[in-house]
Amino acid sequence: MEPEKKPHGTEYRTYTLVWMGLVVLTGLTFSVAGMELGGWTVLIALAIAGTKSGLVLNYFMHLRSERLLIFRVIIPLVMAVFLVFVLLTFADLAFRGGAR
Amino acid sequence: MILRSFQKMDEAKTIVLEESNTSAKLGMWLFILSELLLFGGMFILYSAYRYKNPVDFHHASRELEVLLGTFNTLILLTSSLSVAASISALQRGQSKLSMVLLMVTMALGLLFLFNKGFEWGAKIEHGIYPNSPALLARAKGEVLFFGLYYVMTGLHGLHVLVGICILCGMLILIAKDKLNPTRFVPLENAGLYWHLVDIIWIFLYPLFYLIT
Repeated sequence: MEPEKKPHGTEYRTYTLVWMGLVVLTGLTFSVAGMELGGWTVLIALAIAGTKSGLVLNYFMHLRSERLLIFRVIIPLVMAVFLVFVLLTFADLAFRGGAR
Repeated sequence: MILRSFQKMDEAKTIVLEESNTSAKLGMWLFILSELLLFGGMFILYSAYRYKNPVDFHHASRELEVLLGTFNTLILLTSSLSVAASISALQRGQSKLSMVLLMVTMALGLLFLFNKGFEWGAKIEHGIYPNSPALLARAKGEVLFFGLYYVMTGLHGLHVLVGICILCGMLILIAKDKLNPTRFVPLENAGLYWHLVDIIWIFLYPLFYLIT
């Protein structure tokens, strides 16, 4: 598809801003790991990782500027499939008896 | 009249370009989908074993060099920036800038692999590698952790290496003017692959280095 007709320099600026956001989020995830948050740490870490991936997917991989439906649907679809796998796996694991 | 027919030819060319752009990109995204499921499967395995061995995983994780892992994360994030900028540069006709940015991306990728090799080397020197006696003598959860560590970071490292080779190919194509403002989809696809490699590491990093 044609790249969006933006004035020169805008794309570079967007990319740099996204990169700064990614660096900040990396620092955040590093700091959170140092705090005593128990079970929440993993959830927060995954949430931050998800946000970072979202930034990469939307801005670096241009999903945000894709017009065709198929591209906007592919990633959410994969995530949904993956979620089903995870849920099924843990539905099994959580109810297994015995020490393993 | 001649101008009109040239105009029509240009339109026809544009239409063909757009169609092949879409199918090429779709092919790449489908491949990315399969890669996500490949690593996804391993992440599920990881989560199952971590669920069963939380303490062992925590102890094993503390033996990894967090600062080096963090540095590697920043390296890959920056390489994503440089490859994205490289595509923009090519689209604007700045071939030289595009090539420089590609070389930066490749250099960062190599630095990442160098760091990884250093990490692995340090572990192997301490006798921690798959099936080593020192590792097998440890708690079961720790054996699982390091098994997953080597396989997942190893497979990821292979993907980085392949990515560097692909980017090198793109570099050559730009140098030969085979890639230019009217034909840049191969570079875009190479960029997509590189961003995928970055995303996988975005998840590997907290799950291996930051277990509390």
